[in-house]
Amino acid sequence: MNISMREENGIALLSLSGRLDLASGTALKEQVKKLFANNMNSIHLNLAEVEFINSSGLGAMVSIMKETRMRKGRLTLSNLATYVQEIFEITQLSHIFEIFPTEEEAVSSFSTVHAG
Amino acid sequence: MARVTDRITILLAHLQENDTSVRIQAIEELGGFDADEAVAGLVVALEDTEPAVREVAAEFLAERRSTTAIRLLIHFLGHDQISTRNLASETLVRIGAPAVDDLITHLDADDPDVRTFIVDILGLIGDRAAVAALVQCLDDPNLNVGCAAAEALGRLADSAAVEPLVGAMDRMDDLRLPAIEALGNIGDASAVAPLVERLATDDPIVLYGVLDALGKLGDADTAERLAPFLDADDRSIAETALAAVIAIDRRHGGRISVDLSLDRFTDYLFEGIRDHDADITDFTLSRLKRWYGNDVLRGLLGVIDHVSDSDLHRITELLRDVGYPAGKAITDRLKTAAKPLKLRLLDLLVPFVDDELAAAVTPLTADADPDVRQRIAHLLGISGWTGAIYPLKELALDRHAHVRAAAYKAIGWLGSDAQVECIIHGLDDKYPEVREAALGALIIIGGPHVIAKLTADLYHEDTERQRLSVMALGWIGEEEVVSSLVNAVGHPEATVRQSAINALARIGGLQSVDPIRATLHDSNPGVRKATASALALLAGERAVPDLIGLLSDDDIWVRYHTILQLGTIPGDATVDALLPLISDPQDIIKLAAAKALSGLNSQRACSALESLRSDENEDLVAVAEQALSQIGDSA
Repeated sequence: MNISMREENGIALLSLSGRLDLASGTALKEQVKKLFANNMNSIHLNLAEVEFINSSGLGAMVSIMKETRMRKGRLTLSNLATYVQEIFEITQLSHIFEIFPTEEEAVSSFSTVHAG
Repeated sequence: MARVTDRITILLAHLQENDTSVRIQAIEELGGFDADEAVAGLVVALEDTEPAVREVAAEFLAERRSTTAIRLLIHFLGHDQISTRNLASETLVRIGAPAVDDLITHLDADDPDVRTFIVDILGLIGDRAAVAALVQCLDDPNLNVGCAAAEALGRLADSAAVEPLVGAMDRMDDLRLPAIEALGNIGDASAVAPLVERLATDDPIVLYGVLDALGKLGDADTAERLAPFLDADDRSIAETALAAVIAIDRRHGGRISVDLSLDRFTDYLFEGIRDHDADITDFTLSRLKRWYGNDVLRGLLGVIDHVSDSDLHRITELLRDVGYPAGKAITDRLKTAAKPLKLRLLDLLVPFVDDELAAAVTPLTADADPDVRQRIAHLLGISGWTGAIYPLKELALDRHAHVRAAAYKAIGWLGSDAQVECIIHGLDDKYPEVREAALGALIIIGGPHVIAKLTADLYHEDTERQRLSVMALGWIGEEEVVSSLVNAVGHPEATVRQSAINALARIGGLQSVDPIRATLHDSNPGVRKATASALALLAGERAVPDLIGLLSDDDIWVRYHTILQLGTIPGDATVDALLPLISDPQDIIKLAAAKALSGLNSQRACSALESLRSDENEDLVAVAEQALSQIGDSA
């Protein structure tokens, strides 16, 4: 799995591609841990290119979400492919993750929240 | 011509009849004549004792807009009947701009009431051509005319009136307040400096007016000047100053960053939110992040059930930023809240519930209301608090299915594999939503224990349980489930075999190809369709011979599905297999073949597809044309 990262307005935007399983889930957690170490607690994961996700991949996402909450940060997801969307529905994880149709909508939600 | 005059004379006589309908009919007919006598008749009808008659006459006069009508109406502004004066005035306003010149001409009327009427009418018409004349009226010897002129100038909102109004404000005490209001309504920034100077007034009434006017036209600097008035002893003045700052802030998109001491306005602001005042709501919420304390949070939670959904969303996000103190205030408020508010408050906790807050709301797992218990289960699940497991296990035994479902979901989110046995019980629940929640929890937890349990359940006595197990194994998707799924390919239940094949295809890996090939002749067409998809995905070109074999399947939908799968595998062998199908006796097969060939972009398919263009079936023609266009584009 590939993880590319860029920063926009203090939000770490990670684009994932390939299969999200035990190995890649661990790599993703490591990457996010580095972001936390740099005090970047606003994270967005673009899952447009994720073609497969299994139990370990879900576990990694849940673990990142918990860590983000613990740090009073915010984690959003976007562009879930049908398969990924389906597993999020079956596991009801769609109820605990903030999921947006597009990365732009997710990013703008950060600015809405922090305006004022 | 004589006949017209005669008719008008008759109609004017009808205006004296006792019968109202006759008089109305006469007015309606008079409205069709241009002659001055007819217009005069309509104006006279404004004096009619019957309101309906007067209104019909006014309607025709307003439409007519003739000079005669205008002049007669102005004349009627001095009528001794107030109702007639008012109707004449309203009609002139409706006539609008065409009446302005004549109205200005009559501003020298002897009767100050008429002058006042005219000034009011000019203000309501809103034509800036009247500005100069109205400025003159500021010096009218009659105070009412002067005040009306100031108000009218405010309505016309022309910056040319600013200087005369500032002058009038200084010259005449009685004109000061209307002039200040007018300056506020004009909204021209050039009035800011003279108004700011009047902030030093001793007259509280004037001060209210100045504060209000500055609220309408001030900028960020003005807001700074208003800030000290928030500490005024006179509470009304302080609230007026705050309202002015809020108005300035709104006009500047909420970007005014003046430091304001808002603590004494908690009630005022939250009352504004309760009354759905959008400006106050926006202002208060925008300030909340840098201004919160227990009183403020309590005030906010007191109006939480009065705000719109979008404001509730903003409040939720703000509270998330405030964090624990907000959560504490919410949990305190929960103790006395009634059900609808309680549910709303629990929803507010969602973005920032943590271990501590989760522990604080845990007693509500015993709440009498199942909806509250469901929300609590949800909160405990997202809190990530491991201490939530025990109360969640209790909730998994709740007598309400939606509470049990929420509890299983939450246990899954907490991801503890020590709870697998507990979750497995959920798969036996008589309600599908609970079984599905338990299944979701098992998928998240995964791991050897779950896989072993689900693998055993593939041969559970209940076929529904078998179906859930194979689905869950598929979604778990780890390497460890492959052997269980491969075994399930030979399961007695067709739905289990089909789910196993679909899951193996998703997981990938060539080790699944041979076991799946064994199902090419499965007795169930649904399984054979799954086989076609799985082989195409897993084996690609190597699957072509098997897929070609399926083209002779007895079931037309298996053939249809197989053709579409072949369309995903480029190569001559695929095209060779598909081309004859363009002449298949079944339209549905021809359709699938055309679609598949379109995806393969092979020039060799063109002449076969051309032959479909003259087919009687419009769908086939459309697909063929689309396919040919696609192949042409890619050539």
